[in-house]
Amino acid sequence: MPRTKAILIDITKCIGCLSCERACKEAHSFPQDPEPALSPTAFTVVEERGDRYVRRLCMNCQDPACASACLVGALKKTELGPVTYESSKCIGCRYCIVACPFNVPRYEWSKLVPFVKKCDMCYARQVKGQPPACVEACPVQASISGWRDEILEEAQRRVLLDSKYVRHIYGSEEVGGTSVFFISDVPFEKLGFATVSSQPMPILTANALGDIPTVVLVGGGLLAGLYWITNRRKQVALAEAQEFTPGAHERE
Amino acid sequence: MSKYRLPKITFWRTVVAVIFAAGLYAAYARFFLGFQQSTNLADAQPWGLWVGLGTLCGVGISAGGFAIAAAVYLLGFERYRQVVRAAVLLSFLGYLSVIVGMMYELGLPWRIWHPIVMWNRRSVLFEVSWCVMLYTTVLALEFSPSLVERIPWVRLRKLYLKWHHHILIGLVMVGAILSSLHQSFLGGLYLLAKGKLDPLWYSQYLPTLFYLSAVPAGLAATIMAVFLCNRSLNARVDYDVLAEMSQIIAPLLYVYAVLRGVDLFTHGGASYLWLWREETLLFWLEIGLFVIAPVALLSRQRVRHNPQLLYFTCALVVMGFMANRLNVSITAFQASSGLYYVPKWTEFALTLATITAAVVAFYYAVLYLEILPKNPPTKKWFMADSPVAA
Repeated sequence: MPRTKAILIDITKCIGCLSCERACKEAHSFPQDPEPALSPTAFTVVEERGDRYVRRLCMNCQDPACASACLVGALKKTELGPVTYESSKCIGCRYCIVACPFNVPRYEWSKLVPFVKKCDMCYARQVKGQPPACVEACPVQASISGWRDEILEEAQRRVLLDSKYVRHIYGSEEVGGTSVFFISDVPFEKLGFATVSSQPMPILTANALGDIPTVVLVGGGLLAGLYWITNRRKQVALAEAQEFTPGAHERE
Repeated sequence: MSKYRLPKITFWRTVVAVIFAAGLYAAYARFFLGFQQSTNLADAQPWGLWVGLGTLCGVGISAGGFAIAAAVYLLGFERYRQVVRAAVLLSFLGYLSVIVGMMYELGLPWRIWHPIVMWNRRSVLFEVSWCVMLYTTVLALEFSPSLVERIPWVRLRKLYLKWHHHILIGLVMVGAILSSLHQSFLGGLYLLAKGKLDPLWYSQYLPTLFYLSAVPAGLAATIMAVFLCNRSLNARVDYDVLAEMSQIIAPLLYVYAVLRGVDLFTHGGASYLWLWREETLLFWLEIGLFVIAPVALLSRQRVRHNPQLLYFTCALVVMGFMANRLNVSITAFQASSGLYYVPKWTEFALTLATITAAVVAFYYAVLYLEILPKNPPTKKWFMADSPVAA
């Protein structure tokens, strides 16, 4: 796999200044009013959990459930890492919202031509070599970005060197790994992080889809076989009836 | 006597008119005011009544068509031949209602054709969309002779029916496979909702469970439809045939219950069976309606051979089936989403209007086409080449 981009969010460093929220809204030309939760016009929010601040944003999974769910391939994992949304393909089925284990995608319920809205790690900026707007705006480097392997190494370094950290990098193995990592000094479940399996979500449906050829072949063979038997029995019954009916041959 | 008369105002016509009027307003609300004004859907419950009742139940109840067609044409159960057209028509209208439903379920319905050219083979919904397209085509072809018989041009009619006769067996086989895949994949959709779906309903065997529950529900719905045609539309289907059909339902339900039970006990959902909470109560309502009551009732010959009781029992099966689909699509999400979703009245109105349209279409088809053997026979406008075998 080519090198991909990632974001590391260090919860111990966040001061809750909301610069990331504002920068995000500015980058997407959304109105600047602060919002309490993710919305079609808030791709990232800072939530207060006790005395910690936790940023919420799309995790941009390595093997995203949403991209596997999307029947027209509007959502896809780019080579660069971000999970992007091609609105011109979307038919509005909302299966991505059902599928997302982190409950991130938002739907424009109030619009007559509604689309799905979510963070794509500022894909347009990343292509140009710029960091995501939220990372650039962070005054205390609580959010940093870069190549995923380097970012992951940095996260490991911090967690290993300082005993205040919980010894887990959230996102390193969740649903097979994500492009957004969190490190924290408070256990993640106490901060409202979703407890998810380390298995990539698309595996859940891959098995069922893999059964299609078997079902078609075995089912088709079985039905054809049964039809052959039925047909044969009819023919035999007909022949026997003719044989035992006096004068059947003359009638033919 | 004047040639044209105004339709008489009857109770049922009034009911249908009221439902259509409400549905019309709901359609206006959906398309001109948007989801927010017409539904209680939210990001925590992106699929609600329209998917749960309209799509999941609509497709499931349409499973009778492929089952009866396969029984008659492939397995040689000639006795069911007299209900095969009714079963296929029921499925066909069921699928049409599902497609109509998609027009208001989808946020951007004018792009409904996108899956034809934009493919994602990893998506269960992609496979589902292809199954809907292909199987609806198959059903239309299977049903087409009922209409073609009415074509006044003899040669065209004969040509079509001859051609149809040649491909019928193939159609039935393809239909059985497509329908089976489709029924299973509707359950497969929810495989991705792991962690969101309540343990009483989440299972890696959701596809199998959806398939196994759809067939008895489809058969039960077919029995109900034929019973009603016998009672009110002068059809004269042998009640023994319905009794015979019902004998298949109980074993199917039994297999379903065993698999469901084994799955619950091996995957840990069993610990939720005796908790005092809404989900568990609705689970037992579902099991009671869909499995326990029908299995108990159908095992009695007195029930199977009493058309009225049989109708009632089949209604239980269908209601239990609907409870299951609504539980999977709505109840099972409640705890994890933290949203207590109750559909808006406009959601009920649109789905109800769609179902009513299918029922009305079925009524007139049975009345004016050769769907079921009738007493007296349907007045023939033209000579029919292949009247329904009685």
